[in-house]
Parts: sequence; structure tokens; C-alpha cells
Amino acid sequence: MPRWLRYSIVGGIVALTVVLMLAFRHDPLDIRTGTINRPAPAFVLDRLEGSGKVALADHAGKVVVLNFFASWCIPCKEENPALVRAWERYRTSDVVVIGILYQDSLDSGRRYLRDNGVTWPTAADDAGRIAFAYGVRGIPETYFIGTDGIIAGRHVGPIDETTLFNAIETLRPKAQR
Amino acid sequence: MTRERLLIVVALLAIVGALGWSVRPHEATAAERVDHITSELRCVTCQGLSVKDSPAESARQMRDLVVQRVAEGRTDDQIRDEFRASYGDWVLLSPPVASWTGLIWLVPLIAVAAGLAVAIGRVRTSSPTAGAPTASELAALRDRVAREEALDLPQTDGAE
Repeated sequence: MPRWLRYSIVGGIVALTVVLMLAFRHDPLDIRTGTINRPAPAFVLDRLEGSGKVALADHAGKVVVLNFFASWCIPCKEENPALVRAWERYRTSDVVVIGILYQDSLDSGRRYLRDNGVTWPTAADDAGRIAFAYGVRGIPETYFIGTDGIIAGRHVGPIDETTLFNAIETLRPKAQR
Repeated sequence: MTRERLLIVVALLAIVGALGWSVRPHEATAAERVDHITSELRCVTCQGLSVKDSPAESARQMRDLVVQRVAEGRTDDQIRDEFRASYGDWVLLSPPVASWTGLIWLVPLIAVAAGLAVAIGRVRTSSPTAGAPTASELAALRDRVAREEALDLPQTDGAE
């Protein structure tokens, strides 16, 4: 076998190993493709409970935690206590939590809100349009939108309290922490 | 020309005509465009299924969105780009050649080229001329054979 070919094969194996090592170091729940670092798609949706609308533009300048959920989604129930605590802690500050009901009936969604103590603004997705605009692959999924309206992060799967609070604090302006 | 031959010619002409008709350039209908686009898009909640083939709710919603966009007069590229903006190239079942994911198309070519290089290298080293001795080696070999023949005693068969 020629020397150059031997070196090429060894180099290829080393490169592949490095790529795999870097890939495995990456948190699979922290996906940074698609809409990350891009302006958050705007939406105006009917509130799930009560009257009025839920509009992203109404929360401009705030940190927005956008959570996609459904009543049939077991991991959504698992993560719900963390969201409740975040809402209790930040509801009077510069942080807002918004829930988007995904592929679910309105009645089931409303029941879910009542049974799980969800009091933050929630709305039903418009035939999946909002989920597609954000790049949702499966729920629960949580997007973190900075005060500049840019999607700064995304968490796929049930989120724990530490990850949630860390993500929020990272995005809050220092003066308001 | 016999009747059988005439029938064969007519049948062949019919087949060629049908093939030509099926591949004729024509403007795709809205339904054909939807089928084509959804067959290229990945169902985002499935494992390797296209939007066209998946029975999942999210695939149905994606299909509805494609239908709506086609009705609005968007081009195929615009519709694909809308999904790519949200999901990246991952949402396309075949990665585009123009983007960095297009490198994946090079992998089989590189593998074939490397295999050919190895095969050619092997063939060269195993060919009769590749291992042929040089003139000085042949001369040394002849000298050694001559010396050994001179030293050799006559062979005995052991029966004497």
C-alpha cells in the first residue's frame, strides 16, 4: 500500500474520531440548529382560558420562556412543577412564560391547565403553524427568547428547574438580576 | 413483412409512445407538486419517514401547510426553504449538494477511490515484473548455483 494512502486512511480515522468525540460531548437535548440565534417568529393566538389574545409582541423587551405542551404528553407533566416555580418566581419581573398547546383538543388543554396549576398565558397552536415556525420536533420543547427578541436557546424534552432557572438568568439583563 | 412482425413493430411503437407520453415535459398540477414536495420533506416526529408517507398528525399538518403554500402561489423552493429555515437541512430527506451537508455525497466517491487505489497497489506489487530480480542479483544467483553445483557430490540411491 502506498505511503500516501496509508497516511490518508490514518488521517481519516483520526478526523472521524475527533468529530465523533465532539459530537458525543454535545448535549443532545440542546439543539442549536434551525431557529436558534434568529428572531422569534411572531404569533397572535386566542387565549386558551378566558378571553383575549396571546401575542409575542406584547412581551417585547422581556425574557420569554415559550413552552410547547399537550395534555397527552407525560414528560410535559413531569416538567410542569419546574415551570410553575419559575412562573411564581418571575411573574412580577421581566420574565414571562407562555404555553403553546400542541396537537391537542381545547377541552383537554383547559383541563390540563386547571389540574396542573398553569396560570401563565397559554394558547392553542394554529394547526401546527407556530410549532413549525419554531422548529418543534416533539414535545415538550422549551424556547428561550432574549430581550432582543432573538431565540437564544432551546431545550428538547422535560426541563428541570436548574436548567430552566440558569437559562432565564443568563438572558436577564444584569441590572435586573 | 409478415403479420407477426407487423404486430411486434406496432407493439414496440405503442410502448415507446407511452413512455414518451409519460415523461413529456408538462406543467405539474397542484396535487403533483404537493406530492413531490412532501416526498422530499422529513416527518419531524417520525423515524426516517417522509411527510407524504407518514400517518402522523404532525406530517398531516405539514402536508396541509404545503397545500396552503402551493395554493398561495409559492414556488417549490420557497416552500422547502420555509421548512429549512425552521429545521435546517435535516428536514430534507436528501441533503442538498450545495450546502456543507452535501459533503456526505462525497463519502462514497472517496471510499470507491480509496478502494481502487488499494486494489491497484495490490495488483502492481503482485505482478510478475514488479518482483523481477536485477541484473546484478541474477549474476550473484548464478554464481551461487555454480558454486553449490561444484561442491555437490554424486548422488547415491542407497541401494548399493
